[in-house]
Amino acid sequence: MALQPITGPTSSPGSGIFPTLVFVQGNDQRTINLDHTPFTVGRKVDKDLVIADPRVSRDHALITSEDGQFCVVDQGSKHGTFVNGERVQRKTLERNDRVEFGVRDVAYVIFHPHHASSNTAREFLSQISGIQISTDTTDLEKLTLFLEAARKLNTTGVLDEILVTLLDATLKLTRAERGYVFMRDEEGNLRLAAGRNSKGEPLLDDTTISHSILDEGVKSNSEFVITDTSQSLDLAGRHSIVAYDLRTVICIPLRKPQVQATRDVQAAVVEGAAEVMGALYVDSRFASRDISSVSNDILRAIATEAASLIENARLVQAEEAARRYQQELSIAASIQQGLMAVSIPEVPFARMKGKNLSCKEIGGDFFDAVNTEEGLAVVLADVSGKGVSAALLANTLQGMIYSQLTAGMPLIEIVVAANRFFTHKHIGEKYATMIIARLRRDGELEYVNCGHVPPLLVCNKEVIRPPHGNLPVGLLADATYESDHVSLHAGDRLILVTDGVTEAENARGDFFEDSRLEAVAGKSNSLEDIFAAVANFCGGTPLNDDCTVVELVYSG
Amino acid sequence: MNLKIEKHLVDGVSIVSCHGRIMFGEEATILRDNLKEALSKSPKMVLNLAGVTYIDSGGLGTLVGVFSSARAAGADIKLTGLGQRLRDVLQITKLATVFEVFDNEQEALAALSRGVA
Repeated sequence: MALQPITGPTSSPGSGIFPTLVFVQGNDQRTINLDHTPFTVGRKVDKDLVIADPRVSRDHALITSEDGQFCVVDQGSKHGTFVNGERVQRKTLERNDRVEFGVRDVAYVIFHPHHASSNTAREFLSQISGIQISTDTTDLEKLTLFLEAARKLNTTGVLDEILVTLLDATLKLTRAERGYVFMRDEEGNLRLAAGRNSKGEPLLDDTTISHSILDEGVKSNSEFVITDTSQSLDLAGRHSIVAYDLRTVICIPLRKPQVQATRDVQAAVVEGAAEVMGALYVDSRFASRDISSVSNDILRAIATEAASLIENARLVQAEEAARRYQQELSIAASIQQGLMAVSIPEVPFARMKGKNLSCKEIGGDFFDAVNTEEGLAVVLADVSGKGVSAALLANTLQGMIYSQLTAGMPLIEIVVAANRFFTHKHIGEKYATMIIARLRRDGELEYVNCGHVPPLLVCNKEVIRPPHGNLPVGLLADATYESDHVSLHAGDRLILVTDGVTEAENARGDFFEDSRLEAVAGKSNSLEDIFAAVANFCGGTPLNDDCTVVELVYSG
Repeated sequence: MNLKIEKHLVDGVSIVSCHGRIMFGEEATILRDNLKEALSKSPKMVLNLAGVTYIDSGGLGTLVGVFSSARAAGADIKLTGLGQRLRDVLQITKLATVFEVFDNEQEALAALSRGVA
């Protein structure tokens, strides 16, 4: 079916719909609009994409466009142009193709054709607002127009935009003067979400509408309520109708769409009980036209379509919010990883290694190492709980301890300060178990165990578990702490683990336990072997907790 | 939910028995709420953990948190029914010195009635 001629603004071809290249180099990533062709790539500074690497030729490659297709063309480069790992002279680019120029894996671009989805919907928005409905347009045509709008709009994610378009469409279909959308807030009160008049101007004030009809409409079980004041005798208490000379008021409750059910009696009952999430309200004044004769089919169509439209928009919005939240989390995770990326000091008398496996994106384990005149210090801590809250505290604790170790403070003082900090801040039941150790050049090891899994001292393949220990940090304000001293000989190893290691579970629910840890630590000099033993034991059962292992070897 | 909690009052003492796992999150929250509710009825409590198969760091934090605030408010909680695993955890964390641990409910109740702090 042909729609009426569209007189609205048409968008210029290609505006805002360029394909993009995502350029990735090391940890950096940026998006480049492919807004002209040929797009040049090379080492020369006048290129559109400059890659400063000797393996990239000065004039390396071009991206050209032919018949709407994009093509990468090698310019006789020395080290070649690659698409998805394959060396090419000329290749048409497909979505998500990975293109590399001379330098493999170091720098590459990912090709994305234009994201057309939101743009077409937006174009449609601009078109629909310019549509003139001729007087002889049939109701059916109007309905089709509306359904078309609904379908296209489902691809946008902007609730406000949808509400405004919904109002514009409704005003055009009903030929009413003013239209408003009300949405229920968390307390269940109706709040004005959008308002428009037939001239397309925004209406921000809802004081001149009939709230009594609005409330009635929302409470009613009908698909819509039409009040024609010229027919109605009982206008007592209908303040607005009298005061603002309202003639016809239509209120369409927006009910949450139900899961598709068969159209039997039962389904009708369910529909009647559907949650009202808002209302669409349109009216006109006496002085203006009569809208009471508007087709019931149209109102019914608006009622169902508008509700599902809004519900879809809300779902899209929720999805978008979840996506942003996920993005925030992954940023937090990368910050956390950055903090976990310990640069281990090189000292002539000892070697240190550490490795962490997180069970979630971010966790509460950390280790750190600091070398000062007092010796090589290492700390391994495990903040109780998991996820963001644990990571936040872990990072705070790590900062505190790092600065105090750098200042060469005595270990006991550091632990007492951390305990004071945690207990005075009232951060609930969060605490940390940790071991903080300092190895002097002469092999003298001082360490404080604060409720942590006892360290493993491996001397000549014999594994010793010193019984020394204190309360965790952050549980009791008046806790006191003591340290322990051990003299290490060349080749002696100190292995620190978090309980994620000893409590790694297999499918049967057994723990890895100290015994297995001691067995592998006594046999092997490699951290990897400990992780391999844990993985082997778990046999695919995912980790419940972060696993961190730190090894300090005294070389004498 | 991996934790079941039973409560009853005997001669003015709350006896709270836990079965399952005490873990960070849902279980720890349920435990905290139950212990607080029991303490609001009686300041004397015997917490029997005989049915507890596992307690993680978060669960332990909850226990200590409730104990500390209860003690500050003048309440008295005795622990009993600790399995080897829990004893190990309390040993490692040195919390055995903080909690008052008894071998069985009778001894814990006797200690409460003697008013031994």
